[in-house]
Amino acid sequence: MLVVEDERKLAHVVSSALQAEHYDVVVAATGEDGFYRASAELFDLVVLDLMLPGRNGLEILQKLRQRHIETPVLILTARDGVEDRVLGLDLGADDYLVKPFALPELLARIRALLRRGRPSEALRLKAGDLELDLVARRASRGDRAVELTGREFELLEYLLRHQGHLVSREMLARDVWKEPRRATPLDNVIDVQMARLRRKIDCDGTARLIHTVRGVGFVVREEEP
Amino acid sequence: MSSWWSGASIRVRLTVWYTVVLSLMLVLYATATFVAVRHEFREQLEEQQQIDTADAPSSLTTDPEARLQEQLREVLVVLVLGLPLIVVLAGAGGYVLARRALAPIDHLAAEARRLTADRLHERLSVPNQHDEVGRLAAVFNDTFARLEASFGQLGRFTADASHELRTPLAVIRGIGEMALRETRTPAEYKDAIGSMLEDVDRLTRLVDTLLRLSRGDAGTIRLSPDVVDLGELARDVVSSLGILAEERRQRLQIAVAANVRVAADRLVLRDAITNVVDNAIKYGPPDSAIDVRVDANGQQATLTVADQGPGIPDQHRDRVFDRFYRIDEGRSRESGGTGLGLAIAKWAVEVNGGTISLEPAASGSLFRIVLPRIAVSAPRQVQPGTPA
Repeated sequence: MLVVEDERKLAHVVSSALQAEHYDVVVAATGEDGFYRASAELFDLVVLDLMLPGRNGLEILQKLRQRHIETPVLILTARDGVEDRVLGLDLGADDYLVKPFALPELLARIRALLRRGRPSEALRLKAGDLELDLVARRASRGDRAVELTGREFELLEYLLRHQGHLVSREMLARDVWKEPRRATPLDNVIDVQMARLRRKIDCDGTARLIHTVRGVGFVVREEEP
Repeated sequence: MSSWWSGASIRVRLTVWYTVVLSLMLVLYATATFVAVRHEFREQLEEQQQIDTADAPSSLTTDPEARLQEQLREVLVVLVLGLPLIVVLAGAGGYVLARRALAPIDHLAAEARRLTADRLHERLSVPNQHDEVGRLAAVFNDTFARLEASFGQLGRFTADASHELRTPLAVIRGIGEMALRETRTPAEYKDAIGSMLEDVDRLTRLVDTLLRLSRGDAGTIRLSPDVVDLGELARDVVSSLGILAEERRQRLQIAVAANVRVAADRLVLRDAITNVVDNAIKYGPPDSAIDVRVDANGQQATLTVADQGPGIPDQHRDRVFDRFYRIDEGRSRESGGTGLGLAIAKWAVEVNGGTISLEPAASGSLFRIVLPRIAVSAPRQVQPGTPA
């Protein structure tokens, strides 16, 4: 995996996060270096910053695609104007993230890009003794059936799909609530909904499955981290 | 010629116009006088000749015809020589008068030039408020007053924004410094880092919101207007925020009239309604009711949100939509507000061609959003034969 990012600290943060997830990471600090490596070596994925010294990220992307190098590219940009994003995606980027981004989100998007093209998941999701039947839309914890509202079910499904990985409020707002913009009221809604879901899932002395990671988001995991 | 003309001062142009018009009038007047005098002389001459022929038919000592010509020539000389002289004198007088008439404008310009961004509190002197210059000065003063107000607002906004950005920064810094002061347990470190991240989140959201507002001000947000059923949109907002009201044991009630359609950008308008309803939930006391109503009133569509909270004192009523304006400093920050919710709502409503206001109410607060309504009746029929 190649990370093209000139800001040293950010490159370090991103590459350590990827290494912690057991990806092999190469960092390129300039556009020239990034372009050279991306065209010379074979990567599973390129994380590309758009504002780079030497060579602009969009230029690199364009050149790579012109040479028919189809490695998935995720672009990072500080600009969130619609035009910038459209331009990036038009030039052949597979996904984009606006700075400042949350690391869990970056990781989730990378997983999604790497998963792309593979047949998708089962009809049941499990975590510990929690089971989710996606067809019948029923949930159970051990022998106990859990009554969930529609929203709660979607929320739990999303958490289980990202089992073991952090899920940020941004991701929930966009993917579960389908809100393109995250506003304060929605954050409160997410927190309340999460508290209710937790009351239904993690009650009466069972091992806790839903964990809050302060300042970051939520994670479903079998035991305490 | 035309470039010289437009390059000349009003004073010169005024004088030239005045002189040209005056000369034409004088020439006309002189011609008329000359014609009248000649006519008079001729009549006199004819009378004279009749008397002469009656008295002494053969006395032809002096030629009366020649004398008449002589007299007429004298009149003509006086007229032709006098005319330019009068024109020159009148022109000079006009030039002086024009200067006097235009002097207040020069004065005004000189005064206005002194007023810069940091001296906007000064005003132009209005010598006589009923004449043209006085009215001009009054208009200028009005403009300056508005400029001063918006400059003031801008300055306040920048100061408020810096302050709001500073608070989370101070928290992040403080927590970081505290955590590093001595060796702590991993749990304590986690807690410190988590707390810092929470404030980073707050900072991020604040910057996002500010960016949106400034884009709104610059008019660079592209809207995608659509026909929106206001009642449906309100229901949507209410069902999404309902859980917050439930948590506070509030009754979030909604009553909508059917078919209240407006032309608006759905997402932007939804933001406005969300912020107003969220505001009501936040300030309404537990166990109270919040009423959301959508009505049609002729050409207008209205949405009102009423809560049973403490209400907003009259003196704050105009300012609740100001950016970062808080009636109670501590409380809204505690509940996670950025102080920009209603400012966003105001922008979002106005950009969709509507108005938002806080109505005087006996108790609680009552927000009203008014938007132009789209008629739901069948498409307007064009009468055949009516002129376009």
